[in-house]
Amino acid sequence: MFIHNFKYTLRILFKNKALIFWTFAFPIILGTFFSMAFSDIEKNETLDIIEIAVVDNEAFQNNIIFKEAFKALSDKENEERLFHTRYVKEEEAKELLEQGQIAGYLLLEDTPKVVVAESGIDGTILKQAAEEILQSGEIMKNTGGFGILEGGASIADISDSHLSYTMIEFYTLIAMTCLYGGILGMYAINQNLPDMGSKGKRVAVSPVAKGKLVFGSILASYVVQLIGMALLFAYTVFVLKVDYGDRLLLIILLAMAGCLAGLTLGVAVAAVFKADDNLKTGIIISVTMLGCFLSGMMGITMKYIIDKNVPLINKLNPASMITDGFYSLYYYDTLERFYFDIASLLIFAFIMTGISMLRLRRQKYDSI
Amino acid sequence: MKNVIEVKNLTKEYKQLRAVDDLSFEVHEGEILGLLGPNGSGKSTTINCILSLLDFSRGSIRILGSEMQPDAYGIKKEIGVVFQDVAVFEELNVYDNMDYFCGLYIKDKATRRKYIEEAIRLAGLEDFKRFFPKQLSGGLLRRLNIACGIAHKPKLIFLDEPTVAVDPQSRNNILDGIKALRDQGATIVYTTHYMEEVEILCDRVIILDKGRIIASGTNDELKQLARIEEKVSVETQRLSGKYIEEIKAFPNVESVDYSNGLLLIIYKKGKNNLTELMDYLKKEDIPYNRIYSERPTLNDVFLELTGKELRD
Repeated sequence: MFIHNFKYTLRILFKNKALIFWTFAFPIILGTFFSMAFSDIEKNETLDIIEIAVVDNEAFQNNIIFKEAFKALSDKENEERLFHTRYVKEEEAKELLEQGQIAGYLLLEDTPKVVVAESGIDGTILKQAAEEILQSGEIMKNTGGFGILEGGASIADISDSHLSYTMIEFYTLIAMTCLYGGILGMYAINQNLPDMGSKGKRVAVSPVAKGKLVFGSILASYVVQLIGMALLFAYTVFVLKVDYGDRLLLIILLAMAGCLAGLTLGVAVAAVFKADDNLKTGIIISVTMLGCFLSGMMGITMKYIIDKNVPLINKLNPASMITDGFYSLYYYDTLERFYFDIASLLIFAFIMTGISMLRLRRQKYDSI
Repeated sequence: MKNVIEVKNLTKEYKQLRAVDDLSFEVHEGEILGLLGPNGSGKSTTINCILSLLDFSRGSIRILGSEMQPDAYGIKKEIGVVFQDVAVFEELNVYDNMDYFCGLYIKDKATRRKYIEEAIRLAGLEDFKRFFPKQLSGGLLRRLNIACGIAHKPKLIFLDEPTVAVDPQSRNNILDGIKALRDQGATIVYTTHYMEEVEILCDRVIILDKGRIIASGTNDELKQLARIEEKVSVETQRLSGKYIEEIKAFPNVESVDYSNGLLLIIYKKGKNNLTELMDYLKKEDIPYNRIYSERPTLNDVFLELTGKELRD
């Protein structure tokens, strides 16, 4: 009976055009769009190397993030380097700026300070770079990164590459796809609920335990979701030529955990809310989009702001757990943070499943 | 006679509303029991309580000799249900829909295939096996809905208004199919607000109103509850008040109504009412186009018992 239900749920999900669009086609279309939009931007970023200075004081020497980042951004071996950096005393930096030999200089005290001569593209780039380095550092600090650094582990070697806008968007796209899988779970579970329509009533009066039916439906939804995710990975790797680096397997592992979290979120929405399919779909899409927004889909700054001011939100936000996992793969050589994110996703899935079970185990209804 | 269903003092309350009020009845093996009542009379609520889908406030329900519970899988295996709303998957074709629902009851594929083919024949869907629900007409969709509910050959079948919004041809096909199921030995509980269907199909009828049984029995038993014996209608023009008063004075006449060229006479009892009336019309040289006599219908019974039409 379990296999019978599993098999038919698979067929029902695969034949539902709307579900297939959102699960399979939409992420691929969005990925294509990202690739076209951001690869052009990155190709056009043929900026001249900017002359800058960094005040070589104690604060700078003690700040590994800034030190490593400016080293990478000024590395002569790096074809995409942004800066030619001089490490000087503060007075010398002022002098160079007055003489117009540099576009600006960085001074690290309690907070980083960028001094530029006049407003212009070079000064803006320096400011932007400093800000991004600061935000990345804050994210790492908020996620325990500094603890790892102080413990002797090393920051990942980023000297020969940098996390491009395209990659950030692809990581968020994967997170979004994981959570969109909730629609599959919701749809599959709805078919087993007598208060959701006659199909549910017909299933409920059959001589099959509800647990068996629900488990079969969830498993089928997960399989469909994983196939959708595999297609997305295959398309981005082989067609869009996205380079996930040498940690593709870990990325896939994270995506699988993310899919489970998204799926169970959808199941919980199906179980908890007594509403029609459209409203439930709306709830899942809204939660997903909000989660992705707070985790930095529309700009990494949002993740930084949330992590700094209301860290609890992103600790509960599955989209943030997924993107955080991707960033941790990029930033750290060690996998502690990554596994923490995987564990967080599994705990999230466990809690969602628990909530769903509490609701689904009821056998009779007050009204249907 | 063996009881397949025993309902005792069933009461279902929704906050202030008592949807089912102290209902007690039995369904005998092999019969078609009609649950007749207007919309909101408690028919579907009663069925949902019997099927253990709905919690109820008081009472007990036994099916096939055992107490009905949500996990009474042994009992559920013997039950087939056709709900009022069509319950099929848009993503599956006719055959696969039947296979899915039948598969919840019958594991063996070969048996399932045989049963499904039989149900397809019964529902007259032979030419539509590979059609998807959206390709079917309303009537065919209803037939599929029924076929999905009965393919596993249940002993007890609940049909909840299966002919709503169905064309006459499909309705006849469905009614023939239901008779065939009864002939095969199934016990059927049939809810409807179409009295004609009840009169054609049901061995016994329970009339519900406001969640209570207001009458029950065979068609003839119920009709005896009506105070009227015969209705005579005469299509005639320009009938004066004098004649109407004289007809009112006839023996056994309960009431006389004349409007829009139609004279309607209700008789309480009597066997020669029509002959007497025709003699009078001839004697008074009153011309008429048509004259016909009817026995009271269940609708008349319902009207008399509740003061309203079945389809109100």
